[in-house]
Amino acid sequence: MKYFTRLLLLSLLTANASAESILIKNVDIYSGSKTLPSSHIYIVDGRITALGEAVPETADRVIDGSGKSISPGLFNAETHLGAVEVSAIRQTVDFYTDNAEVTASLKVADAFNPNSTLLPHNRIHGLTHALSVPESNSGLFAGQVALIELGNPPRVLNDSVAVAMEFSEYGASLAGNSRAAAMAVLRQNLADAIDFSANKNAALAGQRREYSLSLADLQALEPIIKGTQPLIVKVHRASDISNILKLADEYAIKLILSGVMEGWMVANDIARANVPVIMDPIYNLPQSYESLGARLDNAKLLNDAGVTLIFTGMSSSQSTHNAYLVRQSAGNAVANGLDKNSAIAAMTTNPTSVFNANVSTDIKVGAIANLVLWGGDPLEMTSEAELVMINGEQIAMASRSLQLRDRYFKAAP
Amino acid sequence: MRSPSLNAVALATAVLLAGCDNTGTTAGEPILPNKNPFPSTYQVPVSSALVIQGGNLLTGNNQQLDNTDLVVENGIITAIGNDLQVPQGATVIDATGKWVTPGLIDVHSHMGVYPAPETSNHSDGNEMTSPVTAQVWAEHSVWPEDPHFEKALAGGVTTVQILPGSGNLIGGRGVTLKNIPSLTVQGMKFPDAPYSLKMACGENPKRVYGSRDMLPSTRMGNMAGYRSAWIEAGAYKKSWDDYVADINSGDEVDPPIRDLRLETLMGVLDGEIRIHNHCYKVDEMAQMIDMSKEFGYKIAAFHHAVEGYKAAPMLAAENICGVMWADWWGFKQEAFDMVRENIALVDYANACAIIHSDDPIQVQRLNQEVAKAMSAGRRMGLDISRAKAIGWATLNAAISLGLEDRIGSLESGKNADIVLWSADPLSVYSLAEKVWIDGALRFDRNDPSVQPTSDFNLGILSAGESRP
Repeated sequence: MKYFTRLLLLSLLTANASAESILIKNVDIYSGSKTLPSSHIYIVDGRITALGEAVPETADRVIDGSGKSISPGLFNAETHLGAVEVSAIRQTVDFYTDNAEVTASLKVADAFNPNSTLLPHNRIHGLTHALSVPESNSGLFAGQVALIELGNPPRVLNDSVAVAMEFSEYGASLAGNSRAAAMAVLRQNLADAIDFSANKNAALAGQRREYSLSLADLQALEPIIKGTQPLIVKVHRASDISNILKLADEYAIKLILSGVMEGWMVANDIARANVPVIMDPIYNLPQSYESLGARLDNAKLLNDAGVTLIFTGMSSSQSTHNAYLVRQSAGNAVANGLDKNSAIAAMTTNPTSVFNANVSTDIKVGAIANLVLWGGDPLEMTSEAELVMINGEQIAMASRSLQLRDRYFKAAP
Repeated sequence: MRSPSLNAVALATAVLLAGCDNTGTTAGEPILPNKNPFPSTYQVPVSSALVIQGGNLLTGNNQQLDNTDLVVENGIITAIGNDLQVPQGATVIDATGKWVTPGLIDVHSHMGVYPAPETSNHSDGNEMTSPVTAQVWAEHSVWPEDPHFEKALAGGVTTVQILPGSGNLIGGRGVTLKNIPSLTVQGMKFPDAPYSLKMACGENPKRVYGSRDMLPSTRMGNMAGYRSAWIEAGAYKKSWDDYVADINSGDEVDPPIRDLRLETLMGVLDGEIRIHNHCYKVDEMAQMIDMSKEFGYKIAAFHHAVEGYKAAPMLAAENICGVMWADWWGFKQEAFDMVRENIALVDYANACAIIHSDDPIQVQRLNQEVAKAMSAGRRMGLDISRAKAIGWATLNAAISLGLEDRIGSLESGKNADIVLWSADPLSVYSLAEKVWIDGALRFDRNDPSVQPTSDFNLGILSAGESRP
């Protein structure tokens, strides 16, 4: 009986919450493609029903958006969200393995922890979606990339949107400390994947040659060599980027580049190949010999050449725990020449489009709301997320970090 | 014939005895070690007077002065106000609509000791061969051509404290540098800046030495390691104090044999070297404070104080600065209890709150880190002005270095370390346009001839290329 009452209450609450209408007035709206200054937005049942001037005058909740802005929910395309809690505690880290038999077949989604404290922390600051990306540890291939949504509860939307691999200096070190060796290993891996795919029954019966990867890894590479799933290749040096572009063309691989600190040097080649790049525009240091050309206007130069940009943010050390800071990197890209709409698209609509995410991150009539109301300009660090909607639901502004704060400063003035 | 090393000892003894004979010739004066054997060779460059007119000044000491002029003569700020007289031959900068702050100060940097590229040949920041290496000096590892320095300068950073890493309980001496191009580290050293000593709490030392099955492998091992060192240092100090007392009372005695490791620790006990202590957690901070009282020294600052908000009243009472990131967390258990309001809350408790980078990316935008920390504090209802917040990267940082009489604020009589910003420095779109150190223009975003670049960068991408 008690249980039944609770169920009833819950359904009533849900009905109330979802039927709510919200009107936000005089707010600057940044969709992925354009800006609507001082505009209105009307949301009913978690769906955007009106936008612009012609909106209903009343709603259950009316918010004055003067001086504020709305952007699509933020998307960080290179995190380990759900696959790490404390980086230095190995037992909480699942985005790479020490098992050399598991490379392309490692699925981050299989380790996804929806109860991770990182997820509420990031969503209350505007991150609504992310890729959770594996890292290479014993072979060039890292594993399969998951697309996640940070709603309540957080969930995996697609357990395999791409396979990730390394062709950076680190990748070369995994292949025997030579770029040339890494290329030879990669060609052998791809040749084996092609052979396995064409002779699967014989291979499974042990009647083909010995392969360079486990059968599970070769199976995971099948959509890559068939061109039905993208391969994300981490690479920085201009000449390495060129070689990977050639290889992808030769094997008809659907390529996405990641890192690309020297991308500006071969921007036209990347654009011509119609290859999107995942990058953090904050990098400008020659931290290694493969990134001697790193510069703050890399994003602008790639964008000028016509390359589709997809952002991650604020350098690798905090790109997961503070994945929402992708907007700080985006802001710095704008400070160094990139136009604001392109910067916002690179962390909202571009990644959802490239990864065929079945979510609408654009701000348009008819879309289920995935958006953030910011206290000011969406890229300013002095703007806080005031309202976050994920998949049509307003999320509660609660996190472990806020609980800690309130425990020590309950009576803040 | 015995081993060569014995001969070496015999030789050394002979030299020492010869040295003692020399002391006889200056009887009555104790022979003390040279405390400054690597003196700064930095000279304030000669530059014309400078007037920055009509800028919005964030002074660093909690003031915002809009549409105000600032005058610099001989490298020193001489006047701040309106309609000030322009000195003869002065360079006049129109700062209308722009912002002016003191040069930013990063009190936790490893530039030069962990330079770019990050290869083993230049990885010189952590002498992890013994848990207590107070004898090493970070300045002896600094590579002045590190390309990081020029990037930090382009972010408005004029002074940096370079520290050894945190692998050891006591990692060695830190050094304060002016962020200027120089062939030598001596040419960058901030004249007469106090030395610092890096200590580290918590997970790093016990991990490094625990993995080698030696002390410390636990936090109690950490404490035992520091305390043993301070006991040795106390005895060493007594031997020198006794020696000086004996000489002063007319006795002819030999000076103690110098020990570089204990000499630095003695400098701390004598109040000449300032403790900068890597320490994340409130419980460990409390133990470090008790230990400082046990041995009679002062802690200047706790760095990486992720739990600063828990320790805030204690930091205020003990007059210790909390040095913090705006939002880093989660890389270790001791960095798990982060709150974005940390800096604002330490400040709210009237303790000295400081932003640091510990990172060559973050050091380029300390202003944005200040913005994030301010914004988080405001979001929880704290009333924090820009004028107050900029102090976290300027005057408070200078206080922790013992340099607040010379840098950290725009005030008459202070060194003219000044940044001209294109817009509100707490905006993500704002860029440092010009940076002066001691009144000399060291960076100009609009003039490639005033954009220093390391030797390393020349022709590195293509022959003949030179770029900032």
